Amino acid sequence: MSLLEAFGDGFARRALLEAVMVGGLCGAVGVHVLLRRLPFFTMALGHATFPGVVLAGLVGISLFAGAAAFGAVVVVVVALLGARDRVDDTSAVGVTLSGAFALGVLLLSAQAGFSRDLTAYLVGSIVTVRPGDLVTTAVVGAATLAVLAALHKELVLGAFDRGGLAALGYPVLALDVVLLLVVEATVVTSIPAVGTILAVALVVAPAATARLWTERLRATMALAAALGAASGVVGLAISLQWRVAAGATIVLVAAALFAVSLVVAPRHGLLASLR
Amino acid sequence: MNLLQPFTIPYMQRALVEVLVLGALAGAVGVLVVLRRLAFVGDALTHTVFPGVVIAHLLGRSLLLGALAFGVLTAVLLTTLGGHRRVGDDAALAILLTSFFSVGVVLISRTRGFTADLTVFLFGRVLAVDRADLLQTLAVAAVAAVVLLLLHKELVLRAFDPEATAAMGYRTGALDLVLNLLIALVVVAAVEAVGTVLVIALMVVPAAAARLLADRVAAMTALACLLGAAGGWLGLAVSYEVSVDHGVRLAAGATIVVVLVGLFLLAAALAPLRRRVVTR
Repeated sequence: MSLLEAFGDGFARRALLEAVMVGGLCGAVGVHVLLRRLPFFTMALGHATFPGVVLAGLVGISLFAGAAAFGAVVVVVVALLGARDRVDDTSAVGVTLSGAFALGVLLLSAQAGFSRDLTAYLVGSIVTVRPGDLVTTAVVGAATLAVLAALHKELVLGAFDRGGLAALGYPVLALDVVLLLVVEATVVTSIPAVGTILAVALVVAPAATARLWTERLRATMALAAALGAASGVVGLAISLQWRVAAGATIVLVAAALFAVSLVVAPRHGLLASLR
Repeated sequence: MNLLQPFTIPYMQRALVEVLVLGALAGAVGVLVVLRRLAFVGDALTHTVFPGVVIAHLLGRSLLLGALAFGVLTAVLLTTLGGHRRVGDDAALAILLTSFFSVGVVLISRTRGFTADLTVFLFGRVLAVDRADLLQTLAVAAVAAVVLLLLHKELVLRAFDPEATAAMGYRTGALDLVLNLLIALVVVAAVEAVGTVLVIALMVVPAAAARLLADRVAAMTALACLLGAAGGWLGLAVSYEVSVDHGVRLAAGATIVVVLVGLFLLAAALAPLRRRVVTR
Protein backbone atom coordinates (compact mmCIF):
# COMPACT_ATOMS: atom_id res chain seq x y z
CA MET A 1 0.00 0.00 0.00
CA SER A 2 1.46 3.32 -1.03
CA LEU A 3 0.46 6.25 1.13
CA LEU A 4 1.14 8.87 -1.55
CA GLU A 5 -0.79 7.00 -4.24
CA ALA A 6 -3.85 6.69 -2.03
CA PHE A 7 -3.89 10.47 -1.49
CA GLY A 8 -3.62 11.39 -5.18
CA ASP A 9 -7.10 12.85 -5.68
CA GLY A 10 -8.41 16.21 -4.55
CA PHE A 11 -11.03 14.75 -2.22
CA ALA A 12 -8.43 12.49 -0.63
CA ARG A 13 -6.06 15.41 -0.04
CA ARG A 14 -8.82 17.39 1.63
CA ALA A 15 -9.66 14.34 3.77
CA LEU A 16 -5.99 13.99 4.69
CA LEU A 17 -5.75 17.61 5.80
CA GLU A 18 -8.97 17.29 7.85
CA ALA A 19 -7.74 14.05 9.47
CA VAL A 20 -4.44 15.63 10.51
CA MET A 21 -6.09 18.73 11.95
CA VAL A 22 -8.91 16.92 13.76
CA GLY A 23 -6.55 14.22 15.08
CA GLY A 24 -4.08 16.77 16.42
CA LEU A 25 -6.78 18.92 18.03
CA CYS A 26 -8.57 15.98 19.66
CA GLY A 27 -5.31 14.53 20.96
CA ALA A 28 -4.27 17.76 22.68
CA VAL A 29 -7.71 18.43 24.21
CA GLY A 30 -7.99 14.77 25.22
CA VAL A 31 -5.27 15.13 27.85
CA HIS A 32 -7.46 17.60 29.75
CA VAL A 33 -10.49 15.33 29.28
CA LEU A 34 -8.59 12.47 30.93
CA LEU A 35 -7.18 14.61 33.76
CA ARG A 36 -10.71 15.67 34.69
CA ARG A 37 -12.32 12.28 34.07
CA LEU A 38 -14.65 13.63 31.41
CA PRO A 39 -14.80 10.80 28.82
CA PHE A 40 -18.47 10.01 29.55
CA PHE A 41 -19.34 13.69 29.37
CA THR A 42 -17.56 13.91 26.01
CA MET A 43 -19.57 10.94 24.81
CA ALA A 44 -22.78 12.61 25.96
CA LEU A 45 -21.87 15.84 24.19
CA GLY A 46 -21.51 13.93 20.94
CA HIS A 47 -25.02 12.48 21.29
CA ALA A 48 -26.55 15.62 22.67
CA THR A 49 -25.62 17.83 19.74
CA PHE A 50 -27.96 15.69 17.60
CA PRO A 51 -31.21 17.67 18.07
CA GLY A 52 -29.23 20.83 17.29
CA VAL A 53 -28.12 19.34 13.99
CA VAL A 54 -31.67 18.25 13.10
CA LEU A 55 -33.08 21.68 13.96
CA ALA A 56 -30.33 23.42 11.99
CA GLY A 57 -31.17 21.18 9.01
CA LEU A 58 -34.86 22.09 9.32
CA VAL A 59 -34.30 25.81 9.65
CA GLY A 60 -31.54 25.82 7.06
CA ILE A 61 -28.68 27.28 9.11
CA SER A 62 -25.17 25.85 9.50
CA LEU A 63 -25.11 22.39 11.12
CA PHE A 64 -22.08 23.55 13.11
CA ALA A 65 -24.04 26.40 14.67
CA GLY A 66 -26.93 24.09 15.59
CA ALA A 67 -24.65 21.49 17.14
CA ALA A 68 -22.64 24.09 19.03
CA ALA A 69 -25.77 25.78 20.42
CA PHE A 70 -27.25 22.52 21.70
CA GLY A 71 -23.91 21.41 23.11
CA ALA A 72 -23.81 24.60 25.17
CA VAL A 73 -27.32 23.87 26.49
CA VAL A 74 -26.18 20.38 27.52
CA VAL A 75 -23.15 21.77 29.36
CA VAL A 76 -25.54 23.88 31.48
CA VAL A 77 -28.11 21.06 32.04
CA VAL A 78 -25.47 18.56 33.19
CA ALA A 79 -23.97 21.14 35.54
CA LEU A 80 -27.41 21.95 37.04
CA LEU A 81 -28.55 18.31 37.41
CA GLY A 82 -25.22 17.18 38.83
CA ALA A 83 -25.37 19.92 41.48
CA ARG A 84 -28.39 18.21 43.14
CA ASP A 85 -27.24 16.01 45.99
CA ARG A 86 -29.28 12.92 45.03
CA VAL A 87 -28.35 12.91 41.35
CA ASP A 88 -24.71 11.91 40.83
CA ASP A 89 -22.76 13.23 37.84
CA THR A 90 -22.81 9.94 35.95
CA SER A 91 -26.58 9.59 36.16
CA ALA A 92 -27.02 13.26 35.24
CA VAL A 93 -24.93 12.69 32.12
CA GLY A 94 -26.85 9.48 31.32
CA VAL A 95 -30.25 11.16 31.60
CA THR A 96 -29.13 14.16 29.53
CA LEU A 97 -27.52 11.98 26.88
CA SER A 98 -30.52 9.76 26.24
CA GLY A 99 -33.03 12.57 26.54
CA ALA A 100 -31.26 14.86 24.08
CA PHE A 101 -30.63 12.08 21.59
CA ALA A 102 -34.25 10.95 21.72
CA LEU A 103 -35.36 14.54 21.16
CA GLY A 104 -33.27 14.55 17.99
CA VAL A 105 -34.81 11.30 16.78
CA LEU A 106 -38.27 12.65 17.55
CA LEU A 107 -37.67 15.83 15.54
CA LEU A 108 -36.25 13.73 12.75
CA SER A 109 -39.13 11.26 12.64
CA ALA A 110 -41.65 14.11 12.42
CA GLN A 111 -40.41 14.98 8.95
CA ALA A 112 -39.12 12.92 6.05
CA GLY A 113 -36.10 13.21 3.78
CA PHE A 114 -33.36 13.78 6.34
CA SER A 115 -32.33 10.19 7.06
CA ARG A 116 -29.73 9.89 4.29
CA ASP A 117 -27.59 12.52 6.02
CA LEU A 118 -28.00 10.81 9.35
CA THR A 119 -25.42 8.05 8.93
CA ALA A 120 -22.78 10.57 7.84
CA TYR A 121 -23.52 12.53 10.97
CA LEU A 122 -23.35 9.48 13.24
CA VAL A 123 -20.24 7.75 11.92
CA GLY A 124 -18.59 10.51 9.91
CA SER A 125 -17.88 11.03 6.24
CA ILE A 126 -14.40 12.46 5.97
CA VAL A 127 -14.02 11.85 2.22
CA THR A 128 -16.89 14.22 1.47
CA VAL A 129 -15.39 17.02 3.58
CA ARG A 130 -15.67 20.39 1.80
CA PRO A 131 -13.19 23.29 1.68
CA GLY A 132 -15.53 25.25 3.97
CA ASP A 133 -15.32 22.49 6.59
CA LEU A 134 -11.53 22.63 6.39
CA VAL A 135 -11.56 26.36 7.10
CA THR A 136 -13.95 25.85 10.04
CA THR A 137 -11.74 23.10 11.47
CA ALA A 138 -8.62 25.25 11.09
CA VAL A 139 -10.18 28.31 12.72
CA VAL A 140 -11.86 26.44 15.60
CA GLY A 141 -8.75 24.31 16.13
CA ALA A 142 -6.43 27.31 16.26
CA ALA A 143 -8.74 29.18 18.66
CA THR A 144 -9.10 26.11 20.90
CA LEU A 145 -5.38 25.48 21.07
CA ALA A 146 -4.73 29.17 21.75
CA VAL A 147 -7.14 29.05 24.73
CA LEU A 148 -5.49 25.87 26.02
CA ALA A 149 -2.02 27.43 25.71
CA ALA A 150 -3.03 30.73 27.33
CA LEU A 151 -4.78 29.07 30.29
CA HIS A 152 -2.54 26.00 30.55
CA LYS A 153 -1.26 26.67 34.06
CA GLU A 154 -4.71 27.51 35.47
CA LEU A 155 -6.49 24.58 33.80
CA VAL A 156 -3.91 22.06 35.00
CA LEU A 157 -3.99 23.40 38.54
CA GLY A 158 -7.81 23.21 38.43
CA ALA A 159 -7.64 19.56 37.40
CA PHE A 160 -5.35 18.59 40.27
CA ASP A 161 -6.25 20.99 43.06
CA ARG A 162 -9.50 22.95 42.80
CA GLY A 163 -9.18 24.24 46.34
CA GLY A 164 -5.73 25.62 45.59
CA LEU A 165 -6.99 27.34 42.46
CA ALA A 166 -9.83 28.98 44.38
CA ALA A 167 -7.46 30.02 47.19
CA LEU A 168 -5.21 31.74 44.64
CA GLY A 169 -8.19 33.88 43.64
CA TYR A 170 -8.97 32.38 40.24
CA PRO A 171 -12.62 32.09 39.12
CA VAL A 172 -12.92 28.29 39.37
CA LEU A 173 -16.41 27.98 37.89
CA ALA A 174 -15.56 30.20 34.91
CA LEU A 175 -12.47 28.11 34.18
CA ASP A 176 -14.55 24.90 34.37
CA VAL A 177 -17.01 26.33 31.88
CA VAL A 178 -14.16 27.41 29.57
CA LEU A 179 -12.76 23.89 29.58
CA LEU A 180 -16.17 22.30 28.93
CA LEU A 181 -16.71 24.72 26.04
CA VAL A 182 -13.28 23.79 24.64
CA VAL A 183 -14.29 20.11 24.75
CA GLU A 184 -17.60 20.98 23.11
CA ALA A 185 -15.90 22.94 20.30
CA THR A 186 -13.56 20.00 19.70
CA VAL A 187 -16.37 17.44 19.52
CA VAL A 188 -18.47 19.59 17.18
CA THR A 189 -15.46 20.19 14.94
CA SER A 190 -14.65 16.47 14.66
CA ILE A 191 -18.19 15.45 13.67
CA PRO A 192 -17.69 15.73 9.87
CA ALA A 193 -14.59 13.54 10.10
CA VAL A 194 -15.47 10.72 12.48
CA GLY A 195 -19.09 11.35 13.43
CA THR A 196 -20.67 12.03 16.77
CA ILE A 197 -20.36 8.54 18.25
CA LEU A 198 -16.72 8.05 17.39
CA ALA A 199 -15.45 11.58 18.13
CA VAL A 200 -14.97 10.55 21.74
CA ALA A 201 -12.51 7.87 20.59
CA LEU A 202 -10.24 10.41 18.93
CA VAL A 203 -10.37 12.53 22.07
CA VAL A 204 -9.68 9.73 24.55
CA ALA A 205 -7.53 7.10 22.84
CA PRO A 206 -4.46 9.18 21.73
CA ALA A 207 -4.37 10.94 25.12
CA ALA A 208 -4.61 7.64 27.04
CA THR A 209 -1.87 6.20 24.82
CA ALA A 210 0.40 9.21 25.40
CA ARG A 211 -0.08 8.94 29.17
CA LEU A 212 1.38 5.44 29.05
CA TRP A 213 4.60 6.70 27.48
CA THR A 214 5.41 9.94 29.29
CA GLU A 215 4.91 11.55 32.68
CA ARG A 216 5.29 15.23 31.79
CA LEU A 217 2.10 17.03 30.84
CA ARG A 218 3.35 19.17 27.95
CA ALA A 219 5.08 16.16 26.45
CA THR A 220 1.86 14.14 26.88
CA MET A 221 -0.12 16.78 25.00
CA ALA A 222 2.39 16.99 22.15
CA LEU A 223 2.56 13.20 21.87
CA ALA A 224 -1.24 12.87 22.02
CA ALA A 225 -1.63 15.43 19.23
CA ALA A 226 0.94 13.60 17.11
CA LEU A 227 -0.71 10.22 17.78
CA GLY A 228 -4.14 11.65 16.92
CA ALA A 229 -2.89 13.06 13.63
CA ALA A 230 -1.04 9.84 12.80
CA SER A 231 -4.16 7.74 13.54
CA GLY A 232 -6.06 10.00 11.13
CA VAL A 233 -3.55 9.59 8.30
CA VAL A 234 -3.03 5.83 8.66
CA GLY A 235 -6.74 5.11 9.18
CA LEU A 236 -7.66 7.17 6.14
CA ALA A 237 -5.06 5.39 3.97
CA ILE A 238 -6.34 1.97 5.04
CA SER A 239 -9.95 2.94 4.44
CA LEU A 240 -9.19 4.31 0.95
CA GLN A 241 -7.19 1.20 0.08
CA TRP A 242 -9.78 -1.37 1.19
CA ARG A 243 -12.94 0.76 0.83
CA VAL A 244 -14.20 0.51 4.39
CA ALA A 245 -15.78 3.25 6.52
CA ALA A 246 -13.13 5.94 7.10
CA GLY A 247 -14.17 7.27 10.51
CA ALA A 248 -14.39 3.81 12.04
CA THR A 249 -11.01 2.81 10.58
CA ILE A 250 -9.34 5.90 12.06
CA VAL A 251 -10.80 4.97 15.45
CA LEU A 252 -9.55 1.39 15.14
CA VAL A 253 -6.01 2.62 14.37
CA ALA A 254 -6.11 4.89 17.43
CA ALA A 255 -7.40 2.00 19.56
CA ALA A 256 -4.73 -0.37 18.18
CA LEU A 257 -1.99 2.13 19.12
CA PHE A 258 -3.46 2.20 22.62
CA ALA A 259 -3.66 -1.60 22.88
CA VAL A 260 -0.04 -2.04 21.76
CA SER A 261 1.14 0.69 24.14
CA LEU A 262 -0.77 -0.87 27.01
CA VAL A 263 1.35 -3.99 26.55
CA VAL A 264 4.79 -2.63 25.63
CA ALA A 265 5.04 0.88 27.16
CA PRO A 266 8.31 1.11 29.13
CA ARG A 267 7.07 2.05 32.61
CA HIS A 268 3.32 1.60 32.68
CA GLY A 269 2.87 -1.27 30.22
CA LEU A 270 1.67 -4.72 31.21
CA LEU A 271 5.02 -6.32 30.25
CA ALA A 272 6.90 -3.84 32.45
CA SER A 273 4.65 -4.61 35.41
CA LEU A 274 5.28 -8.35 35.00
CA ARG A 275 9.02 -7.88 35.28
CA MET B 1 -56.12 10.72 25.05
CA ASN B 2 -57.05 7.06 25.18
CA LEU B 3 -54.54 4.81 26.95
CA LEU B 4 -56.20 1.53 25.99
CA GLN B 5 -57.73 1.93 22.55
CA PRO B 6 -54.44 1.81 20.51
CA PHE B 7 -53.62 -1.58 22.05
CA THR B 8 -56.47 -3.41 20.34
CA ILE B 9 -54.20 -3.72 17.28
CA PRO B 10 -51.99 -6.84 17.39
CA TYR B 11 -48.66 -5.10 16.61
CA MET B 12 -49.38 -2.50 19.27
CA GLN B 13 -50.14 -5.29 21.77
CA ARG B 14 -46.79 -6.96 21.06
CA ALA B 15 -44.99 -3.61 21.36
CA LEU B 16 -46.75 -2.98 24.67
CA VAL B 17 -45.77 -6.36 26.15
CA GLU B 18 -42.19 -5.81 24.96
CA VAL B 19 -41.83 -2.36 26.59
CA LEU B 20 -43.62 -3.41 29.79
CA VAL B 21 -41.26 -6.38 30.29
CA LEU B 22 -38.17 -4.40 29.33
CA GLY B 23 -39.22 -1.36 31.33
CA ALA B 24 -39.67 -3.38 34.50
CA LEU B 25 -36.47 -5.40 34.04
CA ALA B 26 -34.34 -2.40 33.08
CA GLY B 27 -35.78 -0.47 36.02
CA ALA B 28 -34.74 -3.16 38.50
CA VAL B 29 -31.22 -3.52 37.07
CA GLY B 30 -31.04 0.26 36.61
CA VAL B 31 -31.25 0.88 40.36
CA LEU B 32 -27.98 -1.03 40.78
CA VAL B 33 -26.54 0.83 37.77
CA VAL B 34 -27.39 4.21 39.33
CA LEU B 35 -26.23 3.22 42.84
CA ARG B 36 -22.89 2.00 41.47
CA ARG B 37 -22.62 4.94 39.00
CA LEU B 38 -22.33 2.55 36.08
CA ALA B 39 -24.33 4.54 33.52
CA PHE B 40 -21.27 4.71 31.30
CA VAL B 41 -20.89 0.90 31.47
CA GLY B 42 -24.49 0.56 30.33
CA ASP B 43 -23.88 2.99 27.50
CA ALA B 44 -20.70 1.13 26.55
CA LEU B 45 -22.50 -2.23 26.44
CA THR B 46 -25.18 -0.89 24.12
CA HIS B 47 -22.43 -0.07 21.63
CA THR B 48 -20.15 -3.08 22.08
CA VAL B 49 -22.86 -5.63 21.19
CA PHE B 50 -23.09 -3.96 17.75
CA PRO B 51 -20.28 -5.99 16.06
CA GLY B 52 -21.95 -9.16 17.39
CA VAL B 53 -25.20 -8.16 15.74
CA VAL B 54 -23.41 -7.34 12.47
CA ILE B 55 -21.43 -10.60 12.39
CA ALA B 56 -24.56 -12.64 13.14
CA HIS B 57 -26.38 -10.73 10.39
CA LEU B 58 -23.58 -11.40 7.87
CA LEU B 59 -23.45 -15.10 8.79
CA GLY B 60 -27.23 -15.43 8.76
CA ARG B 61 -27.34 -16.54 12.41
CA SER B 62 -29.57 -15.36 15.24
CA LEU B 63 -28.85 -11.70 16.02
CA LEU B 64 -29.58 -12.40 19.67
CA LEU B 65 -26.79 -14.97 19.91
CA GLY B 66 -24.32 -12.57 18.27
CA ALA B 67 -25.27 -9.79 20.65
CA LEU B 68 -25.11 -12.19 23.60
CA ALA B 69 -21.59 -13.37 22.68
CA PHE B 70 -20.26 -9.81 22.45
CA GLY B 71 -22.18 -8.70 25.53
CA VAL B 72 -20.56 -11.45 27.62
CA LEU B 73 -17.13 -10.71 26.09
CA THR B 74 -17.46 -7.02 27.00
CA ALA B 75 -18.66 -7.77 30.53
CA VAL B 76 -15.60 -10.00 31.10
CA LEU B 77 -13.19 -7.45 29.55
CA LEU B 78 -14.66 -4.60 31.62
CA THR B 79 -14.35 -6.56 34.83
CA THR B 80 -10.76 -7.64 34.21
CA LEU B 81 -9.33 -4.50 32.54
CA GLY B 82 -10.79 -2.06 35.07
CA GLY B 83 -7.83 -1.81 37.42
CA HIS B 84 -4.91 -0.34 35.41
CA ARG B 85 -3.67 2.59 37.50
CA ARG B 86 -2.45 4.82 34.67
CA VAL B 87 -5.41 4.37 32.29
CA GLY B 88 -8.51 4.83 34.44
CA ASP B 89 -11.87 3.12 34.15
CA ASP B 90 -13.60 5.72 32.06
CA ALA B 91 -10.81 6.02 29.51
CA ALA B 92 -10.67 2.22 29.11
CA LEU B 93 -14.45 2.15 28.70
CA ALA B 94 -14.47 4.90 26.08
CA ILE B 95 -11.78 3.16 24.02
CA LEU B 96 -13.42 -0.27 24.32
CA LEU B 97 -16.83 1.15 23.41
CA THR B 98 -15.71 3.07 20.35
CA SER B 99 -13.34 0.43 19.00
CA PHE B 100 -15.94 -2.36 19.25
CA PHE B 101 -18.52 -0.10 17.64
CA SER B 102 -16.02 0.74 14.89
CA VAL B 103 -15.47 -2.96 14.15
CA GLY B 104 -19.21 -3.21 13.58
CA VAL B 105 -19.26 -0.13 11.35
CA VAL B 106 -16.29 -1.33 9.29
CA LEU B 107 -17.85 -4.78 8.79
CA ILE B 108 -21.24 -3.41 7.85
CA SER B 109 -19.81 -0.71 5.59
CA ARG B 110 -18.83 -3.53 3.20
CA THR B 111 -22.46 -4.55 2.71
CA ARG B 112 -25.38 -2.95 0.90
CA GLY B 113 -28.20 -1.27 2.78
CA PHE B 114 -25.64 -0.01 5.32
CA THR B 115 -27.62 3.10 6.28
CA ALA B 116 -30.90 1.32 6.98
CA ASP B 117 -29.25 -1.37 9.14
CA LEU B 118 -27.39 1.14 11.26
CA THR B 119 -30.50 3.24 11.82
CA VAL B 120 -32.49 0.20 12.99
CA PHE B 121 -29.72 -0.78 15.40
CA LEU B 122 -29.61 2.69 16.92
CA PHE B 123 -33.30 3.50 17.01
CA GLY B 124 -34.96 0.09 17.01
CA ARG B 125 -38.24 -0.91 15.48
CA VAL B 126 -40.48 -1.55 18.45
CA LEU B 127 -43.64 -1.53 16.33
CA ALA B 128 -42.26 -4.36 14.16
CA VAL B 129 -41.65 -6.76 17.06
CA ASP B 130 -42.96 -10.22 16.11
CA ARG B 131 -43.85 -13.25 18.22
CA ALA B 132 -40.33 -14.73 17.99
CA ASP B 133 -38.70 -11.45 19.11
CA LEU B 134 -41.10 -11.30 22.01
CA LEU B 135 -40.30 -14.87 23.11
CA GLN B 136 -36.55 -14.17 22.90
CA THR B 137 -36.93 -11.03 25.00
CA LEU B 138 -39.03 -12.90 27.55
CA ALA B 139 -36.49 -15.74 27.81
CA VAL B 140 -33.51 -13.42 28.31
CA ALA B 141 -35.50 -11.25 30.72
CA ALA B 142 -36.48 -14.33 32.75
CA VAL B 143 -32.83 -15.40 33.10
CA ALA B 144 -31.82 -11.89 34.18
CA ALA B 145 -34.72 -11.67 36.65
CA VAL B 146 -33.83 -14.99 38.29
CA VAL B 147 -30.17 -13.97 38.70
CA LEU B 148 -31.23 -10.62 40.09
CA LEU B 149 -33.61 -12.23 42.62
CA LEU B 150 -31.00 -14.73 43.78
CA LEU B 151 -28.13 -12.25 44.22
CA HIS B 152 -29.94 -8.99 44.94
CA LYS B 153 -28.91 -8.80 48.60
CA GLU B 154 -25.24 -9.37 47.79
CA LEU B 155 -25.24 -6.89 44.88
CA VAL B 156 -26.79 -4.16 47.03
CA LEU B 157 -24.27 -4.84 49.82
CA ARG B 158 -21.44 -4.62 47.28
CA ALA B 159 -22.80 -1.28 46.09
CA PHE B 160 -22.74 0.30 49.54
CA ASP B 161 -19.87 -1.41 51.32
CA PRO B 162 -17.29 -3.29 49.24
CA GLU B 163 -14.98 -3.91 52.23
CA ALA B 164 -17.70 -5.52 54.32
CA THR B 165 -18.72 -7.64 51.33
CA ALA B 166 -15.17 -8.91 50.97
CA ALA B 167 -14.82 -9.41 54.74
CA MET B 168 -17.98 -11.54 54.79
CA GLY B 169 -16.32 -13.88 52.32
CA TYR B 170 -18.07 -12.83 49.13
CA ARG B 171 -15.92 -12.46 46.04
CA THR B 172 -16.45 -8.83 44.97
CA GLY B 173 -14.83 -9.45 41.58
CA ALA B 174 -17.37 -12.19 40.87
CA LEU B 175 -20.23 -9.93 41.98
CA ASP B 176 -18.97 -7.16 39.68
CA LEU B 177 -18.91 -9.65 36.83
CA VAL B 178 -22.49 -10.72 37.66
CA LEU B 179 -23.70 -7.10 37.56
CA ASN B 180 -21.90 -6.39 34.29
CA LEU B 181 -23.44 -9.59 32.85
CA LEU B 182 -26.89 -8.51 34.06
CA ILE B 183 -26.50 -5.15 32.29
CA ALA B 184 -25.37 -7.05 29.20
CA LEU B 185 -28.46 -9.28 29.38
CA VAL B 186 -30.79 -6.29 29.56
CA VAL B 187 -29.04 -4.74 26.57
CA VAL B 188 -29.20 -8.00 24.61
CA ALA B 189 -32.85 -8.58 25.45
CA ALA B 190 -33.76 -5.10 24.31
CA VAL B 191 -31.40 -4.06 21.57
CA GLU B 192 -32.97 -5.77 18.58
CA ALA B 193 -36.45 -4.51 19.39
CA VAL B 194 -35.95 -1.06 20.79
CA GLY B 195 -32.47 0.13 19.76
CA THR B 196 -29.45 1.21 21.78
CA VAL B 197 -30.58 4.71 22.69
CA LEU B 198 -33.80 3.48 24.28
CA VAL B 199 -31.99 0.75 26.24
CA ILE B 200 -29.71 3.16 28.05
CA ALA B 201 -32.66 5.47 28.74
CA LEU B 202 -34.77 2.60 30.17
CA MET B 203 -31.89 1.64 32.45
CA VAL B 204 -30.80 5.04 33.79
CA VAL B 205 -33.75 7.44 33.67
CA PRO B 206 -36.42 5.57 35.75
CA ALA B 207 -33.82 4.53 38.33
CA ALA B 208 -32.46 8.07 38.66
CA ALA B 209 -36.05 9.34 39.08
CA ALA B 210 -36.81 6.65 41.68
CA ARG B 211 -33.68 7.63 43.61
CA LEU B 212 -35.03 11.17 43.91
CA LEU B 213 -38.28 9.93 45.44
CA ALA B 214 -37.37 6.90 47.57
CA ASP B 215 -34.86 6.28 50.36
CA ARG B 216 -34.93 2.47 50.65
CA VAL B 217 -33.50 0.25 47.93
CA ALA B 218 -36.61 -1.96 47.82
CA ALA B 219 -38.89 1.05 47.35
CA MET B 220 -36.50 2.51 44.80
CA THR B 221 -36.52 -0.73 42.82
CA ALA B 222 -40.31 -1.05 42.85
CA LEU B 223 -40.70 2.58 41.80
CA ALA B 224 -38.10 2.25 39.02
CA CYS B 225 -39.86 -0.85 37.60
CA LEU B 226 -43.18 0.99 37.74
CA LEU B 227 -41.81 4.17 36.13
CA GLY B 228 -40.04 2.21 33.38
CA ALA B 229 -43.17 0.25 32.49
CA ALA B 230 -45.43 3.30 32.79
CA GLY B 231 -43.11 5.37 30.59
CA GLY B 232 -43.16 2.62 27.99
CA TRP B 233 -46.95 2.41 27.99
CA LEU B 234 -47.49 6.18 27.96
CA GLY B 235 -44.85 6.71 25.28
CA LEU B 236 -46.44 4.14 22.95
CA ALA B 237 -49.90 5.62 23.50
CA VAL B 238 -48.71 9.19 22.85
CA SER B 239 -46.75 8.18 19.77
CA TYR B 240 -49.81 6.32 18.36
CA GLU B 241 -52.25 9.10 19.19
CA VAL B 242 -50.14 11.90 17.67
CA SER B 243 -49.10 9.87 14.62
CA VAL B 244 -52.54 8.47 13.73
CA ASP B 245 -54.91 11.19 14.88
CA HIS B 246 -52.83 14.30 14.31
CA GLY B 247 -50.73 13.29 11.34
CA VAL B 248 -47.35 14.16 12.90
CA ARG B 249 -45.19 11.05 12.86
CA LEU B 250 -43.39 10.50 16.15
CA ALA B 251 -40.93 7.59 16.41
CA ALA B 252 -42.23 5.22 19.11
CA GLY B 253 -38.88 4.50 20.80
CA ALA B 254 -37.86 8.14 20.98
CA THR B 255 -41.28 9.15 22.32
CA ILE B 256 -40.87 6.64 25.15
CA VAL B 257 -37.50 8.17 26.08
CA VAL B 258 -38.89 11.69 26.05
CA VAL B 259 -41.80 10.59 28.28
CA LEU B 260 -39.32 8.93 30.67
CA VAL B 261 -37.25 12.12 30.86
CA GLY B 262 -40.48 14.03 31.50
CA LEU B 263 -41.22 11.69 34.43
CA PHE B 264 -37.67 12.26 35.70
CA LEU B 265 -38.10 16.04 35.60
CA LEU B 266 -41.43 15.66 37.43
CA ALA B 267 -39.65 13.59 40.10
CA ALA B 268 -36.93 16.26 40.37
CA ALA B 269 -39.61 18.91 40.88
CA LEU B 270 -41.49 16.83 43.47
CA ALA B 271 -38.44 15.68 45.45
CA PRO B 272 -38.01 18.88 47.55
CA LEU B 273 -41.76 18.86 48.44
CA ARG B 274 -41.56 15.24 49.50
CA ARG B 275 -38.54 15.86 51.67
CA ARG B 276 -40.39 18.64 53.49
CA VAL B 277 -43.32 16.27 54.18
CA VAL B 278 -41.08 13.42 55.33
CA THR B 279 -38.95 15.48 57.70
CA ARG B 280 -41.95 17.21 59.26
